[in-house]
Amino acid sequence: MLLVVLAAIAFLSVTHGSRSIPLRDVVDAFRHFDDGAIEDRVALQLRVPRTILGILVGAALGLAGAILQGLTRNPLADPGIMGINAGAATAVVLAITVLGVGSVSGYIWFAFAGAVLATALVYVIGSLGREGATPVKMALAGAAVTAGLTSLTTGMMMTDVEVLDQLRFWQVGSLAGRYAPIVEGIAPFLVVGIVGALLCGRALNGLALGDDTARALGLRVGRTRVLLLGLVALLCGAGTAACGPIVFVGLVVPHVARLVCGPDYRWILPYSMLLGPVLLLGADIIGRVAGSPGELQVGVVMGVLGAPFFVALVRWGRMSEL
Amino acid sequence: MKRLVSSGVCALVVLGLAACSSDVAEDTDAAPTKDATPAGPWEWDDADGETVTLDEVPTRIIAHSGAAAALMSYGIRPIGIYADESVKTDPNLQGLDLDGIEILGEEWGSIDVAKASTLNPDLIVADWWPAEKAHSGLEEGVKEKSKDLAKLADVVGAPQGGSIMALTEGYEKLAESLGADIESSQGAKDRAAFEAARDEFSALMEEKEISALAVSPASDLLYVANPEFAPELLDFAEWGLGVIEPDAVDKDFPYWENLSWENADKYQPDVVLIDGRTFDDSVKTAEDQPTWTSIRAAQEGQVIEWPAFWLHTYRDYAEALEKLTDDLSDVDVTVGD
Repeated sequence: MLLVVLAAIAFLSVTHGSRSIPLRDVVDAFRHFDDGAIEDRVALQLRVPRTILGILVGAALGLAGAILQGLTRNPLADPGIMGINAGAATAVVLAITVLGVGSVSGYIWFAFAGAVLATALVYVIGSLGREGATPVKMALAGAAVTAGLTSLTTGMMMTDVEVLDQLRFWQVGSLAGRYAPIVEGIAPFLVVGIVGALLCGRALNGLALGDDTARALGLRVGRTRVLLLGLVALLCGAGTAACGPIVFVGLVVPHVARLVCGPDYRWILPYSMLLGPVLLLGADIIGRVAGSPGELQVGVVMGVLGAPFFVALVRWGRMSEL
Repeated sequence: MKRLVSSGVCALVVLGLAACSSDVAEDTDAAPTKDATPAGPWEWDDADGETVTLDEVPTRIIAHSGAAAALMSYGIRPIGIYADESVKTDPNLQGLDLDGIEILGEEWGSIDVAKASTLNPDLIVADWWPAEKAHSGLEEGVKEKSKDLAKLADVVGAPQGGSIMALTEGYEKLAESLGADIESSQGAKDRAAFEAARDEFSALMEEKEISALAVSPASDLLYVANPEFAPELLDFAEWGLGVIEPDAVDKDFPYWENLSWENADKYQPDVVLIDGRTFDDSVKTAEDQPTWTSIRAAQEGQVIEWPAFWLHTYRDYAEALEKLTDDLSDVDVTVGD
């Protein structure tokens, strides 16, 4: 059923936007592409890559949020707290200041590397000490790394107007301006991450029972944690690299999924994978239509809608125990 | 023992803080020499509505980079300058000899007021922004400490308004009241050069009717400039260029209309003017967009530089106008609507 909803949203994403194009023209664009007509270009070269990216990134963020919440046993876990967004931002700022990179397609790989390195750093710090990387220590390490990297990024931004100028666009989180080259470049990472994440259901169920119980059931707790964190780094790193840091999707989607299907991760993961794009593309479509002739960035829309939505969820939903 | 150590540490910290925060005003160098400084009281009706009266004509002047460039062309040399970016790249300060002038800041919103106070200024000169009701460097959004600059001396300046001429003429008047010999200064020669450039520009505009769209392309949106807030665009329009006015300006930030790249073809001018402050990067960003060439002028390559938001002096305006006239002279006017 969700698949139908997703297909519908994807369809809406291609047919609606800042510019109102009649449905017939959109279909025509797919049948015979006319480079001279701007409608065709908008439909095929702007909206289709944007929709595909929205689906992949939405799925990635939804899955990453679900994994993180299971990994840290923290219902408020979100890619932002593990230093991923901060790491990506720091890397992008370094790319702009040190190497003079000027465009999104330029710093996407830096963002990716930054996100992965930051996650690795969080893991290393969280696993210092006798007990290894417990959920509490990882959450604390994540908060510390995020704070440190954010202050570093802000410091560099304040001293260089050009960096501030470029970064303020990227930091809001947007699906706009990302065309086929970017989508083709980042899609493989996202697809690998998504497939890998879907296979983690059993491991997450095990971890949810507590470390000792998990070990008793034969789960290699330490190694599993590293693998799961690596998947989160891959999914969020790639997603943030492509679109900038997007809030709320990773936080809200797993909760909705849990409401629908209960605490079994083997179901939560696929549902998160489908709900993520619905939420992300939904917000993007709203941003495009409401902002016409301009556009509202998806990060902005998500911030505005996400908070009341989450409050409603907490107030009226059944927040099942993690 | 513990109490002794902690009180010792306290004493050291207090001493350290006291040492760091001393800004004793010293009389450093003497006032810079100039042409005949008129004696006696000085009065100036500033654009902000206040009248400044001083017992003597001010000689120790701290100025914002744009104002400094204007004053220096008339022979008035400030003792301190603060800029919105590095003085090496600030377009207002290119080619100027800043030897002996203290640099008090190279970043918008951040002025070294402690250093400024050691210079003992008589006057501070910076543009007046009517929309923000503040002088340059003291607007809403700057660091609180920077606003203390206004406590060191009175602040005056020419108004940012409907024309760059408000700035150039305003600073010429200010320089004259400060004792500069206008007619024999470099500024007078610059003014003559500017008038010649402007006449050539107007002549070209009479010959060809060119419509122009001023934009700043970003990777996710195309920003169309609102001429009402760009004094140089208002001047060009006054002298005959058909500057297009956007019809759906952003209410919160009326300098621009935000256009999605899906709607890039909303306006069809003969020539596209791109924000000159970031020209190369902007062109590259624009060319990455599949719908950039839906603007026919962009398709034909009729994209030229627009000297946006920085002109203050006749010299710079003359140069910018000459370049613009040159770029516009072979524009094909059948391209736009």
